[in-house]
Amino acid sequence: MDEDVLTTLKLLIIGESGVGKSSLLLRFTDDTFDPDQSATIGVDFKVKTISIDGNKAKLAIWDTAGQERFRTLTPSYYRGAQGVILVYDVTKRDTFTKLENWLNELETYTTRNDIVKMLVGNKIDQDNREVDRNEGLKFARKHSMLFIEASAKTKDGVECAFEELVEKILQTPGLWESDTQGQKVRLVDQQQHGGRACGGYCSIP
Amino acid sequence: MAADSDPESEVFEITDFTTASEWERFVSRVEEVLNDWKLIGSSAGKSSPEKGEYTSGIWEEKSKDINFADFKFSITHHYLKQESDEGDGKEEPEEDAFPLAMQDLLCMNNDFPPRAHCLVRWYGMREFLVISPGANCEAIISESKCNLLLSSISISLANSGCQVPMFVQIQQKWRRMYAGECQGPGVRTDFEMVHLRKVPSQYNHLSGLLDIFKSKIGCSLTPLPPINIAIRFTYVLQDWQQYSWPQQPPDFDALLGGEVGGVEFGKLPFGACEDPISELHLATTWPHLTEGIVVDNDVYSDLDPLQAPHWSVRVRKAENPQCLLGDFLTEFFKLCCRKESTEEILGRGLAEEEGKENSDISAALSKLTEPAAVPIPKLSVSNMVHSARKRIRRHRRIDESPLSNEMLNSILLYLFPDAAVEKSSENSDSKTNDYPLLLPFPCVQNLFSHLKSAPSDSLSYRLALCVCLVNFYHGGVRAVAHLWQEFVLEMRYRWENNYLIYGWVRHRMLNCCIERKRARDEARKTTDGGKERERKVSGGCQNGRFGPESVPPATTASDSAREVGKSWESWSDSEDEFFECLSDQEEMEFPPTAGEKGGAKDVSKAKPEGRLHPHGNMTLINSGEPLYIPVTQEPAPMTEDLLEEQSEVLAKLGTSAEGAHLRARMQSACLLSDMESFKAANPGCVLEDFVRWYSPRDYVEEEVVDDKGNTVVKGELSARMKIPGNMWVEAWETARATPARRQRRLFDDTKEAEKVLHYLAVQKPADLTSHLLPCILHAAILKLKEEESVEDIPSVKKAIQQATSHASKVLHHPSPDYKKLELIAVETVIARARSLKAKFGIGKGEKGEDAEELEKFVSSLLEEPEVAVTGAGRGPAGSIIHRLFVSAQRIHLIHFGEHSDEAALLAPLDDDLGRVGGAEDRKPMGGGINVPDFPPPAGREILLRTCVPRPAPYSKALPQRLFCVLMRDEFRLAGAFSSDTSFF
Repeated sequence: MDEDVLTTLKLLIIGESGVGKSSLLLRFTDDTFDPDQSATIGVDFKVKTISIDGNKAKLAIWDTAGQERFRTLTPSYYRGAQGVILVYDVTKRDTFTKLENWLNELETYTTRNDIVKMLVGNKIDQDNREVDRNEGLKFARKHSMLFIEASAKTKDGVECAFEELVEKILQTPGLWESDTQGQKVRLVDQQQHGGRACGGYCSIP
Repeated sequence: MAADSDPESEVFEITDFTTASEWERFVSRVEEVLNDWKLIGSSAGKSSPEKGEYTSGIWEEKSKDINFADFKFSITHHYLKQESDEGDGKEEPEEDAFPLAMQDLLCMNNDFPPRAHCLVRWYGMREFLVISPGANCEAIISESKCNLLLSSISISLANSGCQVPMFVQIQQKWRRMYAGECQGPGVRTDFEMVHLRKVPSQYNHLSGLLDIFKSKIGCSLTPLPPINIAIRFTYVLQDWQQYSWPQQPPDFDALLGGEVGGVEFGKLPFGACEDPISELHLATTWPHLTEGIVVDNDVYSDLDPLQAPHWSVRVRKAENPQCLLGDFLTEFFKLCCRKESTEEILGRGLAEEEGKENSDISAALSKLTEPAAVPIPKLSVSNMVHSARKRIRRHRRIDESPLSNEMLNSILLYLFPDAAVEKSSENSDSKTNDYPLLLPFPCVQNLFSHLKSAPSDSLSYRLALCVCLVNFYHGGVRAVAHLWQEFVLEMRYRWENNYLIYGWVRHRMLNCCIERKRARDEARKTTDGGKERERKVSGGCQNGRFGPESVPPATTASDSAREVGKSWESWSDSEDEFFECLSDQEEMEFPPTAGEKGGAKDVSKAKPEGRLHPHGNMTLINSGEPLYIPVTQEPAPMTEDLLEEQSEVLAKLGTSAEGAHLRARMQSACLLSDMESFKAANPGCVLEDFVRWYSPRDYVEEEVVDDKGNTVVKGELSARMKIPGNMWVEAWETARATPARRQRRLFDDTKEAEKVLHYLAVQKPADLTSHLLPCILHAAILKLKEEESVEDIPSVKKAIQQATSHASKVLHHPSPDYKKLELIAVETVIARARSLKAKFGIGKGEKGEDAEELEKFVSSLLEEPEVAVTGAGRGPAGSIIHRLFVSAQRIHLIHFGEHSDEAALLAPLDDDLGRVGGAEDRKPMGGGINVPDFPPPAGREILLRTCVPRPAPYSKALPQRLFCVLMRDEFRLAGAFSSDTSFF
């Protein structure tokens, strides 16, 4: 493990098939766009280290297949994730309306309830928009998520989406653990006396 | 600083501090700190503290290190956090108002605070500064050093105009000796202290102390202004004997004897083995007396504790009393650190044999389970274990077995209750489906949502309890190893005989294997009705994928993770077992031979197979036939371990394009299998058909107007599906038309079961305990909750909650520190509550109002540092406390007194002791049979206050205070004497 990495975070990308999950990831990790990106089978995996406010975080990002059939396999990879990017395609309304299902799925399979969620409306470079930005905003607000519109093709919003998500995770206490030292929290301070304070009769045997 | 306002400072002048002495530097450093902390200027104007505010309020402190030459000191500011009433406070103070600390000297609202810094107790201040030698620095003992420090303080306070009293700690730390000073406009208070080991006899009473105070004030006024007196005597009760600790010791005999049933095994012990309340301190207070009202001198005293207007009580808790649950857990944690393997613990021969003779044993066992061979309905486990163990015994002397036969049988019966039930249990398969294979967040209740464990009736849970018990009572790690070995043996037996395992969450995998194996075995036995049969059997294992109920909670692709690099074709190796190999001849029409590539052309004439149901109204593109959803293979079940392993493998492939490709390929077994099923169900289909079912968004439909002007819907694969050589196309081309039941099994039950059994067999006792740890913690928490619910202690409720979330943190830590689990502390608190309740006779069904009040009193004893006794010695709690003291006194006398004969003759205690405490037996140390009700006070505190002019009769009247502490081996006088500095 890199010496100066503060923590390793597990992120997930989920959403209907063909909304551009893998493209977003590719844009973020390699800053490229491949129009010939093939449909993901099962899950894919990428790693990137980013620096937020001088803190380096290593991101292990799991990219999942959107096909319904794969949904029997992919949830196994939800476990332990600290952040999730939920993607829809602004040019396809049905990818937006299915978001509720994805949230349910998430609720069922994630191991923590404080997971940070980011909603991304992808493909804003295209003209045939079917989902208005405000609808996305409304949805995100309803489900307490972060929201951004993006285009993997033109780069817009992609880096920002990932960075915001990571920043939010780092700001959430208890969601992540430092790689260098394990967390050791004392439970209750059963000790009644503070260090210096003392009652008048402390010394009675 | 203060000098800045001088007119001289307007003249530009170079000020040279380069030649300042260490002492000057120290003084200026102190001033700097005072400035930093904004302690400059008048502190007056704040209202006097509320009654009890010193206890209920929040005390804060901040510290800084300062050096005197190379000697390290730390300066600390202690203060009571008060509501900021500065708004109106700032305007009011008169020019020459006393500093706050001087006002506090006389304030009576917070005498004898139950918990406070000693300086607060002695001087009643809400804010002060202390300079004490740094850690590891020697104490300030010599008088000249003390004086040097005191003058530094004096100068700093004068220079800065700070009105907060400042102290230096002198002499050894433990003596808690402080000297200090407080300055205000024209006034000054000196804080002085006397500390002796013994109380000088002339000062061993109020009148002597009053003499000191008066002479110290040196006031010549007559009559002298009245001196206010507050007194507190503290009595300690250590002897509880008669009201002894109610905990019943656990019945060890019952556990050791033949009575060991499931009931005992299902329980964790609870409670303290010794009294967790060691002492009771009764403080009797006379808060407001004046000289002359009471007499207390060397021959007589009016200070009878029973007559004191205020009583308050605190309890002293035993440090880490031995508690049963705590001991259990501690021993269990210790097991987690053992390094030895099972064989190392039990000896070689046994373990070797286990591998060799397994089949043999189970063959013998299966005889037992043949219907005819079962004369007794109650069988299996115990009998089975007997015969299995007989073989093992050959290699092991009988006395070597850590667990007796009887014991072992009872444990196994507890673990596998179905073995005792008649064999009809075979029909209750459905029961096992109560638990999902993997618990994504396996919580029992909301409380436990962070703690991963198993349901409390699960096998893991029961096993955990057994391991804990066996470890504690029946031979430690050897017994645990033994139990584990027998457990694995039972597992194998069940696998081989198709007995499902009830409530086994962690290795539900084994159950899956057993289920599938059983299905296959049954199918094999059935020779007729092939078709019907097949339907039923495969129905259990195969699933229409898109039904709402068809998504198993957590399962994952294939087990092909271990077959990295195999080509597509290699998946059809002929040696493979097939998913559902029925010996039905007609099914073998198209034997799946290795290497054969099933193309669309030759299947077009083929008979469709493995159809589930039509997919809406969809039809195949080429033939127009209805499009059928095929029966597909269920993805392989995954245990958590497997899942972790697999995601690790996938992650290890790295992020290169090759890695990604390999990853996709590894996961495509399921896709391939589905394609094959689809082809079989839809002869003549093309990839477009498959995609329309499988990934509908990858089939793009467009309305186009053709040559004739008609609108037609034209569809095609999405761009990404058309990329030549993409994995979907590749897989499609490879896929042969094979119905799911004839495909190679994605999930090989035999292999998986063997893997599980092997995995179990090689677990060390420490591994086992680590796995079971969440269960045992869960059990412990449930036990604590159960015990708490009887007592209803709010702080414990909270602590349990915290302990629960804390437990999950500890468990997630790679090398958990079990000592940090605070469960044991919670047990102690509950035990304390019990002890106190017993002592105060709560729960004996006594009359209403008093009982209720008592209950409140006892629960506050647990939560608060000191509790006032309503009605003092005459209230319900007070009379019980009185009785406790009286009986302790008698016992003391019987045991240690010289008058043991007479003491033994004492009549039994009356209930109306309240009246007995008259003036005549009030004086302690009464001789003869007249036993005093109370022992001599362990501590006496006497607080004297007045306001007189000092040093001259015409000076301002200023607060004076002397706090005296008299104990067996400590005598302390802490005086604060103010004087007018205007003309002196």
